[in-house]
Amino acid sequence: MDLIAPTRAAFRLLFSGDAELWHIIWTSLYCSLIAIALITPPAVALGFVIARAAFPGRRAIVVLVQALLSFPTVVVGLTIYMLLSRHGPLGFLQLLFTPEAIIIAYMVIAFPVMVVFTLAAVQAADPRVFETARGLGAGRLRASWTTLVEVRFGIMAAVFNGFGRVISEVGAAIIVGGNIAGLTRNMPTAIALETSKGEFAQGIALGFVLITLALAINAALSVLQGEGGLK
Amino acid sequence: MSGVAVALNGVRKSFGKRVVLDDIDLPLAAGGSFVVTGDNGSGKTTLLRILAGLEPAQSGSLQVDGVSLALADYPDSMRRRIVYVHQHPYLFHTSIADNIAYGLNARGDARAHREHQVREAIGWAGVGHLLQVRPDKLSGGEKQRVALARAKVLNPTVLLLDEPTANLDAEGRHQVVTLIEKLHDAEATVVIACHDKELIGLPGMHRLQLDRGKLR
Repeated sequence: MDLIAPTRAAFRLLFSGDAELWHIIWTSLYCSLIAIALITPPAVALGFVIARAAFPGRRAIVVLVQALLSFPTVVVGLTIYMLLSRHGPLGFLQLLFTPEAIIIAYMVIAFPVMVVFTLAAVQAADPRVFETARGLGAGRLRASWTTLVEVRFGIMAAVFNGFGRVISEVGAAIIVGGNIAGLTRNMPTAIALETSKGEFAQGIALGFVLITLALAINAALSVLQGEGGLK
Repeated sequence: MSGVAVALNGVRKSFGKRVVLDDIDLPLAAGGSFVVTGDNGSGKTTLLRILAGLEPAQSGSLQVDGVSLALADYPDSMRRRIVYVHQHPYLFHTSIADNIAYGLNARGDARAHREHQVREAIGWAGVGHLLQVRPDKLSGGEKQRVALARAKVLNPTVLLLDEPTANLDAEGRHQVVTLIEKLHDAEATVVIACHDKELIGLPGMHRLQLDRGKLR
């Protein structure tokens, strides 16, 4: 297979400002960023609570969240499809095959990743953080916030890993988004489609963007953790 | 010294079958300085942490301003009046000034008042030259001084210091002892858990011996 020609074509597409290609990139970023922004507060809150609090069922929640990590994303997609389909319990929302459906799927997929990373970060926090805050008169909420701020690099790792998980997700996005050009087609689904058609240029271009994003995320995390590692 | 600032009554604490504090009564005179001594594991730290509301007791009450409160219902507002300084103080990963201001922020003090109080505390603790240094770069003695400033800035009724000179080098220890001596001039009641003979021998210090769960 000739790799040079499609790679050249891919870079031409990227740098010529091809509208279809950039819309696909935009859809991916839009769905991923909105999903992460929406799911971060509950995921971080749950991760914090199960790291800090002792309550009946805590262990079961930890096991469930850890199990969800390995849950196939196509099954997540199928479940959300059934919920959002016309005759499903949430069919009246008419969200199937829209970017919002993809956002919901992404939120479900990112949630356990972010909970587990937050849980690990908070469990690794110095126990004196919460106690010092409380001892200086902070209420439980402020002391909890202070703890999260102290482990902010771990929380950033949770956010970045959640983002990394959904930006490259293909199974659920195809099922609930339908891979509709100009609406729900995103980078991974476009790569899958173009490759199946034997059209490699757009796939290579999008793959290049995905890899660049992955590198940028990891570089940013590494820089930030470098700062945190100075503690 | 005049009147009782805070009193612990009937405090009982055990870890499993081991009774650490056995029906302890501890009246603390306003403005007084107390040092709690005892063997390692005798419950000195536990006593201070219970007094600060950082550790639950099996039973007991706290008397403040003539009002008796069950230790199980330790109110947040009391933590601003009874402040505990850890043996190895934790400084938040922010500036030294923000560390000192933490309790004032939590209390919701006005910014102008907060800044004035923080400046005074920085001067009191002699940590002005450390303001640009990251907390994790401070020596043990410097951290202890910042922690003392962070506690004192709240003008607490009772200041609890847990082994404030333990594991410090001679210079750090000297600086911390000097600050603790200066606390005598403050209105706070000071309770120190330690083995340090220099602290025990400070003028005006009342010694309390914790032995097999009892204060003697």
